[in-house]
Parts: sequence; structure tokens; C-alpha cells
Amino acid sequence: MSSASATAPTAVPRPRGGGRHRDLRRFLLRRLGTGLVLCVGITLVAFVVTHLVPGDPAAANLGQRAIGDPAAVRAFRHQYGLDRPLPMQYLLYLSQLLHGNLGISEQSHRPVLTDLAEYVPATIELALFAIVLSLVIGVGLGIVAAVFRDRWPDQVIRVVSLSGVSMPIFWVALVAFYLLFFKLGWLPGGGRLDPTQTAPAHLTGLFTIDALVHGQWALLWSALRHLVLPGLVLAIFTVGMLTRFTRASMLEIMGNDYVRAARLKGLPEHVVVLRHVLRPALVSIITVAGVAFGNLLSGTVLVENIFAWPGVGQYAYHSAVNLDLPAIMGVSLFVALVYIVVNLAVDLLYGVIDPRIRLS
Amino acid sequence: MFEPTGLMIDHVLYDTLLTYKGSNVSTPVPDLATSYTSSADAKTYTFTLRKGVKFANGDPLTAADVVFSLMRTKNINGNPSFLMAGVTATSPSPGTVVLTSSTPNTAIPAILTNPALGIVDMKKVEAAGGSDAASAATADKAEAALNTTSEGSGPYTLTSFSTTTQVVLKANPSYWGPKPKYSKIVIRNVQASVQKLDVLRGESQIAVDLSPTQAEGMTGVQIINGASPNLFFVLTNESSKVSKITSNPKFQQAVRYGINYQGLVQLAGRGAVQAEGIIPTMFLGSLPAGAGPAYSLSKAKAALAASGLGHPTVTMVYPSDVQVNGISFADLAARVQQDLQQVGITVQLQGQSIQVALSSYRGGQEQMGLWYWGPDFPDPADYLNFLPGALVGLRAGWAKGTDPSLEALGTTAASTTQNTARQTLYQQIQRSMNTSGPFMPLIQPAQILVGATSLKNLQSNALWLVDLGELG
Repeated sequence: MSSASATAPTAVPRPRGGGRHRDLRRFLLRRLGTGLVLCVGITLVAFVVTHLVPGDPAAANLGQRAIGDPAAVRAFRHQYGLDRPLPMQYLLYLSQLLHGNLGISEQSHRPVLTDLAEYVPATIELALFAIVLSLVIGVGLGIVAAVFRDRWPDQVIRVVSLSGVSMPIFWVALVAFYLLFFKLGWLPGGGRLDPTQTAPAHLTGLFTIDALVHGQWALLWSALRHLVLPGLVLAIFTVGMLTRFTRASMLEIMGNDYVRAARLKGLPEHVVVLRHVLRPALVSIITVAGVAFGNLLSGTVLVENIFAWPGVGQYAYHSAVNLDLPAIMGVSLFVALVYIVVNLAVDLLYGVIDPRIRLS
Repeated sequence: MFEPTGLMIDHVLYDTLLTYKGSNVSTPVPDLATSYTSSADAKTYTFTLRKGVKFANGDPLTAADVVFSLMRTKNINGNPSFLMAGVTATSPSPGTVVLTSSTPNTAIPAILTNPALGIVDMKKVEAAGGSDAASAATADKAEAALNTTSEGSGPYTLTSFSTTTQVVLKANPSYWGPKPKYSKIVIRNVQASVQKLDVLRGESQIAVDLSPTQAEGMTGVQIINGASPNLFFVLTNESSKVSKITSNPKFQQAVRYGINYQGLVQLAGRGAVQAEGIIPTMFLGSLPAGAGPAYSLSKAKAALAASGLGHPTVTMVYPSDVQVNGISFADLAARVQQDLQQVGITVQLQGQSIQVALSSYRGGQEQMGLWYWGPDFPDPADYLNFLPGALVGLRAGWAKGTDPSLEALGTTAASTTQNTARQTLYQQIQRSMNTSGPFMPLIQPAQILVGATSLKNLQSNALWLVDLGELG
């Protein structure tokens, strides 16, 4: 749906005390400004592209009889502001946006903000689960592959990671569903909870967190079990990617003189690998993980559909096929915000991981 | 309104004046109305309401609620408003509701079974901003509230609702009819292939979207092979402004005889049947098996030769991203293309996204089109839309006045109340349309319902797929 790039880290002399905070404030303000411009740009692109599609939102949302009734069509167009000139429609949208109003969805007939508030937590929970799983497995396998370069563990991991990045996700989802749910019955099939269960009282919208906070252990267990299958499927591609990147980054750093010096000093191998090789390699690993997390948040349509996961992916799909402009704009803004926030978090993490990196 | 799942849900949330039981959709039976009478001119219908019915919230259901609900649906200018077009509801006395139509309307009893005309609690809906006034299109603000709380008297109430993922229903313990068997029902939106595994594994108890092919070979479950009321058809535009080829009557004959209907039936799978006319088999006035056009390559070639068009090339539009009863339009279109190629007609297929294709279809701009029609209400009067000058007729460029005798038959059918006479008239209309005109009905697919063996009284309903309130 979108692409992302992380700001390249720049090494500069490190100021002290108040200077550091001032730099950080300036950096955050600059990124906030850029983010705002980007969001407005996204709304404009989404608006123009949606109107270029040779379809009619009224025809898409009204039934075949109502579309033949001029009064019903007029009422629909008036209700959603479609009877105004296009530039006016866009300006009206922007002015509503300034007041936190994303408009009313033409398919659900609810405020888009309400829809997103319902669907986004489900997607965030799934994406977080998948990215944590991916980081643990992907980075772990990458380290092993780098340490055992060109030996059998590396060969095995190469096959596994290449399979992960090359298998179509819908196929993986169907196979995993068939095997782990249908044949073996190890995991539940779909949804966020068992049909007989009721969602925990809303706090974050993340069922695992909400159930944990309220001490509802049966719900927590059910929510975790329901996360595993879609989370695993989503993680497969990301694991493959992170494994390849971790291996490549670590091998590049392993060739440096200071790593050889650390070994010659007699440091244990695990200290050399984890402290002197992995830590600097994390900069590029986190860049890739950031992009992957953004992709997970914005690209879960197929997995959500197969596992009946009530997330923003399904909402985005239905909005697109119904030419539901306010919902399309809302989802586009959500995706833009995801990449802005993730990239910002990645940039800030650079400084944490490598003290030589300054915010510039 | 046109989504079977939506009808399935609304049907158990809201009672209607009349309804259907089980799989029989030919004769409306009492629901909130215990009886009704109609005037000889089919313009006035008087309903006697059931006594002692309460909404799920405990409020008594009155004639005022019925009038409010019907007039609100009429005036709100939404998808189902056409059902009440030209009809006014009044209550001359408590316990009686009268519907008056400006024109003869024999379909009113059938129309009233539509869950979109379900009866809501007037007090509660008005408190939520609802209105039945003439200005309801702008004045009514109750939809948001009704998306979270159902204000009906049906066997179930709404717990949660999402247009994209799932709907949760809870039993209404004070329901006036047979008590609902299940305390909670969860309806999830998942792919058909996943539905199949879910129901086989016992994760779900009913799958409603399987195609005949997907249902084949399933064991340990009950498979209900019901008839779908959906009807696939080909249109050849009658307007010479749109196409000089497709408006040629001989070309239309060539297409009519050149389609191998039995091949399409085989493609659609077990339970599918040839559409003998535009009215599906379960409705009054449908034609008996064998009455439809028969495939004849020699007749098709002769008609094409008589058209003087040589070997014409035409474009056929179809929605490429839609399946109906598990049947892909693309597969059907390819088969029609192949059949007509044998006749000497080159059909260029133009698959489009449904929203794009709908624009040209509804605008009457397609040379040829492959579409389907699902009934707005289970009465043959709904199929008068296919006549010249009517909704679907115009989409095929069939203008009013093109076929005066056929149109006269339609006018008579619309105002005839006696069922035997209606049946004869609707069959006459279809026989005429099977010999000339722009429509070629193709097939009526099967409607497959797969359920766990533990379910009792699982029946396929042509309108709302399955009556969840009847499950035992």
C-alpha cells in the first residue's frame, strides 16, 4: 500500500546536557511538520485516485432499485457531500479533518473514526505479535547463520528463510489453516476469541492486554491461541527477510579489524558476537524491522480474510471495492501515520543502539 | 437489502406483518398480522395484528409501531424505500393496519415479508432520532443507534454488528413465538473454502457460501441442496444506437439458440437448472421444465445468416470480481463466448470490477452483458422489471412502446389478483420473451447449505438463506 524509508543515521560530535534535548526537540518538531505535510499529501492522492476510478459511489452503495430512484440518489449524494464540486469536497474534508472528523463511511454509515477505533486495535495486536515473533526467530536464525557461515546450519537456515520470503502468503495461510486447525486441531480456526466468549472490557482494544489487566485468564489464553495461527503466517515472510538481513549485516561487521582484535584479546565468542557484532548490526536490522512492521500493519488483508480477523485490512478491502471514499481516506491516513510513527521510532532507536549516531 | 446475510440477520431481529416458513416462499403466512384482506382492485390491504406481542425490551407492539416502521422505511429514501413506493400505511383502529396503494399492487403481501419492513419500537427509535415524516431522508438520525441496538420483537437481539467481519446475536427470552434454541449466534464473514473446513471441524455449525462443487463429497454433515432464486441472464442491447448488431432480432435469435444451456447447467454444478424463463422455479408463474429455449446450432446459424450481419463481433461486459452461489461470471462468460463462436459470433469478453460494470449496465450502454437478478420480493410482479420501459428492460435498451402486446400483458398481470389468472399471465409473458426480445435467461444455480448433524430443522430459504429462529 505504501513504502517507507528510514532516515540515514549521521555521525556528528555529541553535544552534552541541554544541547542534546534541544536537538531532540528540534528533530521531533521537524519530523512532525514533515509528517503533517505527508498526511495532507496522502489525503490528496487518495482523493484524486479514488475519483479517477470510473465508478459511482452512489451506484456502489445503493441497491439496484434505489439507484433508479432520483430522490434516493439525490439524498445519498447530499448526505455524503457528493453533490458539491470536487475541489469543494476536498476542502470540506480537510476542514473536517482539522476538527478530528474523518467523515461518515458510506458502507457502515458510522463515523470512520469509530470504525477505525474498532478495527485498528485488532490489526495492531496481530502485527505486534507477528513482529515480536519475527524478531526473535529471524534475528536468532540470522546470528546462527552468520556464526556458522557456509556450514550446514547456514545452509539449512538459507533454505528456510528463502522459502519464507518466496511463498505466497495466501497459500501459506490456507495450508497452515488446513494443517494446524483442520487436521491436527492444535489451534482455533478464526476470529479473536471462541464464539462463546465475550470480549474483555475495552481498555486498549488489544484483547490480550485487556484480559491481562482485568485478570480474565481464560480470555487471555483464548486470545493468545487465536493469535498464533494468523501471527505465524504473517511472520513467515518477515522471519525470512530478517534472517537474511541479520546474516548479511553480521558478516559485514565480522570482517572488521576491531572484531578480530576483540577475539585476539581473548574475549569469549558469545561476547564478541553479541556485543561487538550484533549491536552495530542492529542498526540495519531495525531499519528492516521497521519497514516490515509497517507492512504488517497495512498489509494484512488476505490473512485477516482467511482467519476472520476483524481488523483494518478487511475494512480497507471492503472500502475499496465499494468506493467508500471517506473510509478509503481514513485507511490511507492510518497507513501514512503508521509509517511516519514507525520511521520516527526507528530513527530514535538508532541513537539508543549506537551512541555515535546523532539526530541531525 | 440485497445481501442474503443481511436478510438472514434482520429476519430474526425484526418481525414482519407476514413471513414465510421453512423453505416455502410461494405463500406468505401470518407473522405479526394474524390475517389480512385485500380489495378487489388490489389497492387496499387490511391487516389484523396479533395481540399481546412485546418488543424484546418489554414495550408492547402496537399498530402505531407498524405504521411508523413502514412509513419510516418509505420516507427515509434508502435502499429498501422502493418497497413502499406509492403505498401509505394507516391505522384506523387499534389492532388494525391498512396499506393503500396508489396503483394496483398484487405483490404487497409478498413485499411485506421482506425483513427491511420489520417492525421497530417507535418510542425507542424516535428517542434515537428516528422519524417517519416525509422529510425522514434528512431528518432521521436513528441508524447509528439501530446499528448497536435492535429495537425489534424477533427471536434474537443484536449484541454487536460489523459490516465486514462478524455479527453477534443474543436470544430474546420474551419472544412471543417458539423460544429460540440457541442463546447466542455468531455470524462470521469468512471465505467459502474456510467455511467448509470450519463446519467439518465443528468450529462452525452452518456454512452458507459453498458451491455445489465444494460441497461434493463432504461427509458427517447435512447438505441441503436448495434452489437459489438468483437468475443469470445474457442481455443483447435492443437499442440500435448502442449496437446495430445486438439490436437485430435475428442476431438475438442466433444468440438464444446458440447457447448450450445444458453445458452451463453442468458448469454450475449439482442442483443447478436451466432458467426456463425470467421467473425462478419457486415463484408463482414460473415455467415448467423444458419450456425454455433449447440449444440448436443449426437454428442459431440459420438465424445469424438471416440477420445479414455476416460474422459479427460484439463485446460482452460482466462483473469479474463477483461470484453468485459459488459461480464465477468469468467462467460462464467464457462458456457463452465458446458457444457463440461455434455459431459464427465473436464475443469479446470485457470483465470489469462490479462497480465499474454496474455503471454501464445501469446506464443501458452495454452491447451484450452477462448479469444476474436476485428478487427484491418473492412475487412474479418483481419480474415485470424486465419488460420494455421498466428498470431492467431499459438497461437492455428496451424502450417503452417497443412491444405493445407484451407491455399490455404486463399491465394486466400487475393488477390481477387471482392466482390462477396471474400464473397464466406471467407464463404468457415469459413465453413471449423466450421467442423475441433482448433477454436470454441462462441458469438458476443451486443454493447449498451445509450444517452440522446436530442441527434440527435446517432448511434452505431462497430469501434469507436459513431461518436461524427455526433451528431446533
